[in-house]
Amino acid sequence: MSSVSAPFFIQGRLCSGAVQHHKSRDLGVEFVTPKLDLNAVVTPRSVVPPLLNTPLSEIIDFLVETGNSLRDPANPHIQACFERMAATHMLPREVLEVTLAHATAYLDKRILLAEVEQNFPDPRVLDQWVPKQDFTGRQSFVRAFGPRLVHVMPGNSPGVAIKSIAQGAMVKAINLFKMSSSDPFTMVAILQTMAEIDPDHPVVQSMTAAYWRGGDATIESALYRPQYFDKLVAWGGGDAINNVAQYIGPGFQLVSFDPKTSISMVGSEAFSSPDATAQAADLAAADLMILNQEACAASRYQFVEGTQEQVDEFCRLMQLGIAKRAQISGDNRPVDVDIREQIEMLTLMDDDYRYFGDFDGAGVVIRSEEPVDFHPINKIGNVVRVDHLDDAVRYVNVATQTIGFFPFGRIESYRDRLAAGGAQRITHLGEAGPATIGNPHDAMYPMHRFVHWMAHEDGAIANEQ
Amino acid sequence: MTALQKLKSMVDNPDRFDFPYSEVQALQLEAVDELFQVQRQKIKLLDHRAKQAGVDRISDFETIVPLLFPHTVYKSYPESLLSSHRWDKLAKWLQATSSIPVPVDEPAQYPDIDSWLSSLEKSGVFVNCSSGTTGKSAMLVSSATDMDWLLTEAVAAYSWGSGVVPNADRKIYGLAPVAVTPRNLKTGEAYRMALQDPNSEPFAYPVPPISVGALTSMVVLRKKIAEGVVTPQELIDYESISATRQQQMSDAVEIAAAAIIEDRAELLHISGMWSSLYAIAERVRAQGFSASDFNPMNSIYVGGGLKRAQLPDNYREVVYETFNIAPERNYQNYSMQELQSGMPRCRAGARYHVPPWVIPLILDKSGEVLLERQEGEYEGRAAFVDLSLRGRWGGVITGDKVSIDFGRCTCGAHGPSIRDTIIRYSDIEGDDKIGCAGTVDAYVRGMS
Repeated sequence: MSSVSAPFFIQGRLCSGAVQHHKSRDLGVEFVTPKLDLNAVVTPRSVVPPLLNTPLSEIIDFLVETGNSLRDPANPHIQACFERMAATHMLPREVLEVTLAHATAYLDKRILLAEVEQNFPDPRVLDQWVPKQDFTGRQSFVRAFGPRLVHVMPGNSPGVAIKSIAQGAMVKAINLFKMSSSDPFTMVAILQTMAEIDPDHPVVQSMTAAYWRGGDATIESALYRPQYFDKLVAWGGGDAINNVAQYIGPGFQLVSFDPKTSISMVGSEAFSSPDATAQAADLAAADLMILNQEACAASRYQFVEGTQEQVDEFCRLMQLGIAKRAQISGDNRPVDVDIREQIEMLTLMDDDYRYFGDFDGAGVVIRSEEPVDFHPINKIGNVVRVDHLDDAVRYVNVATQTIGFFPFGRIESYRDRLAAGGAQRITHLGEAGPATIGNPHDAMYPMHRFVHWMAHEDGAIANEQ
Repeated sequence: MTALQKLKSMVDNPDRFDFPYSEVQALQLEAVDELFQVQRQKIKLLDHRAKQAGVDRISDFETIVPLLFPHTVYKSYPESLLSSHRWDKLAKWLQATSSIPVPVDEPAQYPDIDSWLSSLEKSGVFVNCSSGTTGKSAMLVSSATDMDWLLTEAVAAYSWGSGVVPNADRKIYGLAPVAVTPRNLKTGEAYRMALQDPNSEPFAYPVPPISVGALTSMVVLRKKIAEGVVTPQELIDYESISATRQQQMSDAVEIAAAAIIEDRAELLHISGMWSSLYAIAERVRAQGFSASDFNPMNSIYVGGGLKRAQLPDNYREVVYETFNIAPERNYQNYSMQELQSGMPRCRAGARYHVPPWVIPLILDKSGEVLLERQEGEYEGRAAFVDLSLRGRWGGVITGDKVSIDFGRCTCGAHGPSIRDTIIRYSDIEGDDKIGCAGTVDAYVRGMS
């Protein structure tokens, strides 16, 4: 197979070339990029951010217009992007298309405004030096000054590209996006679409997207310095974070979107009637199949309160729910052979384990008395039978993001304990995907942390004549 | 003699690594079917695989592919069984890959995993654990006959590969801490019987052997950290045990260097791991000794790879040159926990030779399709069936990318051989996988 071309986008201009060869992590496909000019991706501190004097309202209008262009089926950049992604990404093209279409919905005026308003109690700080006065009479001006950001992008969801561009633009940052090897295309396609609307727009001038191999010390040790950037916005964990963490120090802070696992908790009310069982199992399948279980909000372990017989019926129905959604999305990736062996070994060991479905790509649910050691991915549910939902609380930990809960009425008696355990969101079962617009993500308001908070002290009233 | 017996009896044949493959192919197929018919009656997972694949008889090599086990099978037990001391459940789990009945006893009888494992040996179940430092240890069952096989086969392969005739005339320097597994102990015994001069004692590395309990304790602690149930005091206690061990390790380097300098004129056989061998070689050199001080007939066998040790590029040369190891007596062997037979490297061709009782199968990268056999060298994912194994099924898919040639090696020997440039598929993939979805493993610090 010939190599796929992955151009860079550097402060408003496309940069093509076939100098460096790389491999995509998931499929091992080769792609080629231009040579990375480090000088071109750094803006000297003597330069103020290009977006500094562009009003937020204008930025939002530009983002909305970008959204319209991205949704245009004739958009050549996006079409070409999907062609390339088909070669390097593990998700089927249809799923990627739907995901990007969903993600563009974020580029909506009301949504963007709500995000800003939730992150900043007084959004005027983004546009101007806002006057402040404390109770002693001391006066000052405060500004959420545009930061210099490096974003280390994840490869599992093209939607993050859109969100990162929009948030980077709204905080008026100078942005460098380090793309991932499984998706070195989406970011550039979006930026090309923007450049076509207005190549000289300050938003476009504030954006750079490039690829280098994550952890390449020759590049990262040169770039990751407070003289060039204020914050490193990183997704993921393990080696990816360990690599960048060594560069964090005074003046160069980490804003991390941590790797997360999401779960479901299903109370015995699910067995009050066959209809209730069917409903709860289908909702659990819906939460599991978010982005075909590639997303952090996608449920991987389902703690179900009931007898083994009841829980088995739940598993059977849930597997059907997964199969239906896999079929609709055209996803028939079979179960990885290592996971398959583990599931089979567990079921050969003991009656505590049983699996439903098959390994052919239509989804598997494995029932057990405690969570399995492997990470359920690619349409696999691990239903853990518990006598009481209280027994499931101990499995919530600092990596737990979303908990889909059933019945909804019992949420209030659990949410404090779940928060103490480390969880970040608790939702109605079946609604792990949607979030109230502007709500915190990863236990923080990200844009509030992106900006460079600057104060201009203006003396005390008492001293003035 | 059955086909299986014929192949296994070749272990005593001086030409066992020099045979035209066409002459053993049919015998291998006959033998693998013979073994399969017996083992599927005993090994639950093999029978399960066979039923799924609809295999009742093996008459060609393609049919073996769905019956191969990936190495992860031997690590598929729930980790929690170790911390909760559920030896009864681990026994049931072992039974799925074991051809020998594994007794299911009351777990309270055994205070730790070591005492449980030694009780199994009395029932003829020998469990070998791999020494994964942070990851799970694999657990593989061997039978008493497998243990006996190690006595003959290991030294024979060493002798073929190194040209050293076992003559009980050397002093053995084992320069690494040993993990206490039946296989390691048996192999050590075999080397001592074959090489150790009865007039001297082998050098005992001054670090306590690592028990399976010690091997798995780190895994147990890691899980507790991840679950958030570990106390800071437990972490401090663990750190102090690690520090003691670290101190023993560095003391051992000094002691071993002094001892080997003392014995420098003796005929030595050195074994160990690169990290400790390199450290000792450096100490020996620092005291002014080098190749010319050591016996030119010395031999060496280094097990395993670097195991994440950070050493300079010339670490091998430093070790060979310090202890005066001639290139032809530098023995290398390709094997793995899942097999028990070795594939010794020849001296002239630098290739690992596959004995007739091991069937090499070269698959595509995914490990699902047997590649058509080619003239000359070709590459793919290595899989093997070790026909000598009795305690478990010898069919395994490796994580290794290898170049094989079924023809004649430049060393002159006929038969399948593998170039000594083996790499792991996991090492050639990109390494910057980033996603928002992940596990609590990313939140466990300082356990690698």
